[in-house]
Amino acid sequence: MTLPAAAIDEWYPVAMAPDRPLRPDQETTLLGERVRVLLDGQEPRVEANDGRNLPVIVRHGHVWTSLGAPKHDLFAIPEGEQPGRRLVECGAIRVRCSPLRAVENFLDIAHFPFVHTDILGSEPHTEVNRYEVRIREEVDEVWATKVTFYQPQAAKSAQGGITTEYMYRVPHPTCSVLYKTCPPRPGEWDIITLFVQPLEEDLCQVWPWMALFDDQTPQADLIQFQQMIFLQDRSILENQIPRLLPLDPGMEMPTRADLTSVAYRRWLKKRGYHYGAQLVAA
Amino acid sequence: MRPTLYDYVLSPSCYKARLMAALVGSELESVAVDFHPGGDHRKPEFLMLNPAGTLPVLTHGGLILTETTAMLVYLVRLAGRCEWLGGEDPASAARVQQWLAFSARLTASLGLARLHDMLGRPADIDAARWAGTLCLRELESALVENRLLGEDFLAGNAPTVADVACFPYVMLAPDGGVSLDPYPAIRAWTRRIRALPGFVEMPGIHRLHDLRPEPGEAEAAA
Amino acid sequence: MASVCGTLEVAVWRSASGRVAAWVDRCPHRGMRLSHGFVRGEMLSCIYHGWRFDGAGRCRKIPAHPDLDPPETIRTQSLACLDAQGVIWIASEAPAVAPPDLGNVVPLRSLTFEAGIDAVAAMTGEVPDRSLLRLDAHGPVPPLVLLLQALGPGRSAVHALAAPTGTGALVAASRALEDFRRRTEAQGIAA
Repeated sequence: MTLPAAAIDEWYPVAMAPDRPLRPDQETTLLGERVRVLLDGQEPRVEANDGRNLPVIVRHGHVWTSLGAPKHDLFAIPEGEQPGRRLVECGAIRVRCSPLRAVENFLDIAHFPFVHTDILGSEPHTEVNRYEVRIREEVDEVWATKVTFYQPQAAKSAQGGITTEYMYRVPHPTCSVLYKTCPPRPGEWDIITLFVQPLEEDLCQVWPWMALFDDQTPQADLIQFQQMIFLQDRSILENQIPRLLPLDPGMEMPTRADLTSVAYRRWLKKRGYHYGAQLVAA
Repeated sequence: MRPTLYDYVLSPSCYKARLMAALVGSELESVAVDFHPGGDHRKPEFLMLNPAGTLPVLTHGGLILTETTAMLVYLVRLAGRCEWLGGEDPASAARVQQWLAFSARLTASLGLARLHDMLGRPADIDAARWAGTLCLRELESALVENRLLGEDFLAGNAPTVADVACFPYVMLAPDGGVSLDPYPAIRAWTRRIRALPGFVEMPGIHRLHDLRPEPGEAEAAA
Repeated sequence: MASVCGTLEVAVWRSASGRVAAWVDRCPHRGMRLSHGFVRGEMLSCIYHGWRFDGAGRCRKIPAHPDLDPPETIRTQSLACLDAQGVIWIASEAPAVAPPDLGNVVPLRSLTFEAGIDAVAAMTGEVPDRSLLRLDAHGPVPPLVLLLQALGPGRSAVHALAAPTGTGALVAASRALEDFRRRTEAQGIAA
């Protein structure tokens, strides 16, 4: 299959950055092609199946590469550079689903009471209040703001239930950045990201990464909190039919709570990003 | 002083200890070990505690336990809830042991398939899934026979450590690409376990929402 | 629970009062399998966002919008479904004929075979007729009725019912079915 430029000329995460506990010389898959992540001293190098060297960026705790020639830089997360933040790489979790379904689920809050019960949501607090969504044309990103939800245990550092405020940002077809109320430091945002490496159209590897204000919680607990949340989603993601994300309306039925996903699907369609998507209702 | 569990949230074996403690109403101190991605269970400090480099580890005073089934027995006796050890007669006691040993086969098959599919660990995935399927068929048949005899659990009419030892890897079989759709008796058994008082979940095992009243209908139903 | 009807994946569920229903295994909202859902009273809710459907498949509640009365157009895709003689029967459209009379039998167990229904039928020496086979009594094993359901090209479900008898004979029948499965699957590997 020939891959469209929109998918080829894009940056994707393939490993954790080399200053983290990394197993060098790892083989992995990107868009159906085998690639190898090697270390030249401390410098990561990524090699394609045919031996050619692929472009590399080390940023946001991960090694990013591309099978093509990206015309743009990898997105920045300026708030992540603030002093005092704990940077937490969570490793990769593999999921048998479209990379786009993994991102869409990350943008969804209405599932919290049923999938992350008594942690990110609980009955009867199921209502999704009105929030704002727009595609910021100047940066070509999807943004959802003023998202609020009642959460019994919003973060590892949270003591009891709070109404949490969220902002979602989609700067990349398979990546999203979440800005979230920071329990120990009101006024600041915790940053939780989902970087998705598309292995195949219906198989992906998810690299959660966080930049938090939290001096108390041990690193292993922070990682495991995030892995716990993501693994609760995994059995959902592996059981959606069809596996590919339907971009045409008609196949699935959104409500007002799904405005972010509606904008995300429209944005993907506009960019011509169809890897992991289904265009015509089957 | 409470026992301390060296714990990894995604490990079904660690979950066995957490579940057992919850079912007998005990509390554990938990120390999170960065199994993935950190690999801390292979680092020198951890190997001082458990040279086998496996999780979980349970410590209490001077006692260090590294085998999960031993932890289940210890937690039950510590709580004085010996009914979880099964009947005293030779056959009942042996049936519990039979399933405790069987649980190791679940770990080696379904557990391996899950590590492969979820964390990308190397495995002969087809062989692991087929070995898991054979285990599930054995379990299904045993549960069918138990039901014919009027028994709801693996070693009789009450839950024991045997059920706790077998439940997690069975329930999480789909994580490794092995469906539970072909096993109605297993699914009914997992629902009975999930409905036990004190039951706690782990990621991949959802809350049995059926047991809670629908908001707004609570009083009407009661 | 999940099942299959021809090429359709199906969710089959039973309400608190005992009503059974069969739907295409897909929530109209985000495609989640409804067979993962939960049952409260007479309704089934999808595990993903809790959308709640009545026995006729109509959406009655969307928890994200508790005050909204969901439009009538939001519904699951229903199949014909019948609970009779201890068996749940499904069909993509209601058939004109009733299920066959199984005689005096009680449900024993259901097994999945890694073999197509023709291969299973061939092992019994019978030609499949309405996917219903009879196995004669053998030693302690009572006479059995086997209902065959195609799950895919090389897969089938065998739903076994037995003439009422003692527990020991039913256990023997359950073991005989496993033996039958091993022989059927071995035949497939040999062929």
